[in-house]
Amino acid sequence: MRTRVVITGIGMVTPLGKNPLEILRGIETGRSAVAPPTHFDATPFSCQVCAEIRDFQPQPYVAEGKMIRLMNRDAQLAVAAAHLALADAGVKPGGTYAPEEIALFGATGLAGLPLAEVIPLVKASTGPDGQFDPGRFGQAGLRAVSPILSFKILSNMPLCFVSICENIQGPNSIYTPWEGQGSQAVEAAIRALECGDACCALAGGCDVKTHELAFLSLEQHGLFASWQQNHAGMAPGEGAVFLVLETADRAAARGARAYARVSGFSLCTHQQGSKRADTCVKVLESLNLPHKPLGALVAADNGDVSAGEDEQQALSALQITAPTVVHPKKQAGDLFAAAAGLQIGLAALLVERGGGRVLANCFGHGSEQAAFVLEKP
Amino acid sequence: MKHRVVITGLGLCTQLGRSVDEFWRNLLAGHSGISRISLFDTSSLPVRIGGEVKNFRPDELLGEFPEAKSEKDRKIWLGLDAAASALADSQLPGDGFQHTPLFVGVSLETFFLEDATPIAHAPDAAWNFARQVLKQEPRRRLQTPLDRLTQILGDHYGLNRGRYTNCSACAAGAQVIGEAFRRIRDGTAAVTLAGATDSTLNPLALGGFSLLQILSTENDQPEKACRPFDATRQGTVLAEGAAFVVMETLEHAQQRRARIYAEVLGYGSSLDAYRVTDPEPNGRGAALSMAKAIADAGLTPDNIDCVNAHGTGTPKNDVAETLAIKQTLGARAKVIPVTANKSMTGHMIATSGVMEAIASAMTLHTRKIPPTINLSCPDSRCDLDYVAGGSRDFEGRTVLSNSFGFGGQNATLIFGRFDS
Repeated sequence: MRTRVVITGIGMVTPLGKNPLEILRGIETGRSAVAPPTHFDATPFSCQVCAEIRDFQPQPYVAEGKMIRLMNRDAQLAVAAAHLALADAGVKPGGTYAPEEIALFGATGLAGLPLAEVIPLVKASTGPDGQFDPGRFGQAGLRAVSPILSFKILSNMPLCFVSICENIQGPNSIYTPWEGQGSQAVEAAIRALECGDACCALAGGCDVKTHELAFLSLEQHGLFASWQQNHAGMAPGEGAVFLVLETADRAAARGARAYARVSGFSLCTHQQGSKRADTCVKVLESLNLPHKPLGALVAADNGDVSAGEDEQQALSALQITAPTVVHPKKQAGDLFAAAAGLQIGLAALLVERGGGRVLANCFGHGSEQAAFVLEKP
Repeated sequence: MKHRVVITGLGLCTQLGRSVDEFWRNLLAGHSGISRISLFDTSSLPVRIGGEVKNFRPDELLGEFPEAKSEKDRKIWLGLDAAASALADSQLPGDGFQHTPLFVGVSLETFFLEDATPIAHAPDAAWNFARQVLKQEPRRRLQTPLDRLTQILGDHYGLNRGRYTNCSACAAGAQVIGEAFRRIRDGTAAVTLAGATDSTLNPLALGGFSLLQILSTENDQPEKACRPFDATRQGTVLAEGAAFVVMETLEHAQQRRARIYAEVLGYGSSLDAYRVTDPEPNGRGAALSMAKAIADAGLTPDNIDCVNAHGTGTPKNDVAETLAIKQTLGARAKVIPVTANKSMTGHMIATSGVMEAIASAMTLHTRKIPPTINLSCPDSRCDLDYVAGGSRDFEGRTVLSNSFGFGGQNATLIFGRFDS
């Protein structure tokens, strides 16, 4: 990397809590948030567990209370995590940096539309033949739609709410919908800092996969296949994680604590027809790790048997080992678009604790696979 | 080292045409692509018009994209059509994309209400059965992930140097071009494919947006419904469509003797940080985006010769954009032409930024500025030269193109004339 980029703030809202150190401790001591969902009956699905956040309230993070009703849960979680990350870094938009000097890059998952909000309008729009009738939709269905429904479907809304709540006005973009896109958000932040487009960047993601529509979609897209074949698999989760990144020089100049330096990262596209393990090898190979001992590894393993085997094969092929290995997704659930932030954030905490060089694997669904290496600043 | 970046391939699938020539001819002629929506029964909806791509049949593309056979989301097919056209137009060799990154903008996930009826109407005891039926029918997928087009295109053409799906609403199109441009300029890639696709012409999207009261309800005169900068404007008109561009380094393009439409000079983005419902009324965020793009291009406001406006035709946006243009360009704002393509196409959301980038490139390439139609009674607060009344000859060297997203994301691109 041409510019030294450090992580100076970590904000996490996850099924294992909001305190990053406690989350790490929980993962290390085997605490798990994976349990049957509380809002719907998951027994028809191949996967019957998820990782929910049980006690989340958005009010402390949203100054203008009436804005909360415009937000879906993804956005509420994002606003909270972004606030916590900035507070942790001691960055105040308009204080530490001008609002336009702070970049914001995010990732989000499939539209977080609870089925309960859709069912009334579908019911009201169905004709006598049991089929959806656009005519009835206009006459009756539309009345069952909340005027603010669009805000809950538009995928860029979490990013916009973060910018409004925290007054961030700089370069930005938001990617969707899988784990790899969270890595792309962090990549975009690093690039923005490298080219001088921003002085500071907030990067991360949010996702909610703990409602019935998400389960239905994940089932339809084959993401529960491991449960069918192996009676074990990925537990969908919910959460948001944001990181504050700055150049090492700027962080030092303002006396900020830096958890870790991003010393390398690699993003590769999985090619159709090739083995996923080979893509993982390609990602890790370009980090040139075998010659550098690792202090810890944040594994991408989410419980899906074949995905876990692919990651293990890649690590073995390159003889990558680490004395400490943590598996956050198995305990906090797979946070999808927010997963990369969690992986990298935990790696940063491990570095700060004296863990040496730490590898954060950000493998996941979709074509984009990534890994980040963090070291002492 | 910074590389110069040029546009060498254009592809569109829009209500004004599915070839660049047809689109450009219609745009210059001031033809409206807004019409009564025929895709579904809109008779009971408050909004019944849109920028629909007529006579578009996805099955015509099945021969080229058999892998997309089970896709029912219309925007995927629109995107495949436009991307294939852009690549063909670039005349790049078909097997040379291994090191090409792909950037796709898209905004709204299509939710298929018709496929939710089994769940909605199953008695409680039969819910489980309904779910079992749904999960076993791939054609009844309620949600199509927004990266579906990205994956199909990436796999089909072997675009394996990073695939990015940007969902920054109406700013997504300009952002994907900006991000792709930066990859080429900094030497990360020699060639990129960037574009966007969207279709909001479905019951939930059209109905949902109509509830926000930002759409024109002038259903009886569709071709006159979108009137950017006009005092009588009511709102914007939703549209569908896809547009893609091929960009490459100047060296790469010259080496293979490619036709060059225009040069990409600069990119900037910003956030309003104001409200998700409205643009910042003074145009602060929009002005910041423009200023960043001008600085990124190494230009000054005096170097800007034309503005391709976001120009949606909503009462608030047009005033805020006018203020932002004046704030950014100063005295220059009053003497250069400003045009709004959406007056003819409607608002294609994510695709708009790419469509307008193509219009900007064609403005430089053909030395013609398309008109802003339906502008006969200018809003006194919108006091710039909006190219009303017909297309205009253009001898300038740069075009600045704005895209401002729902929620407050802004993006600006600057294009330059390329003299071979």
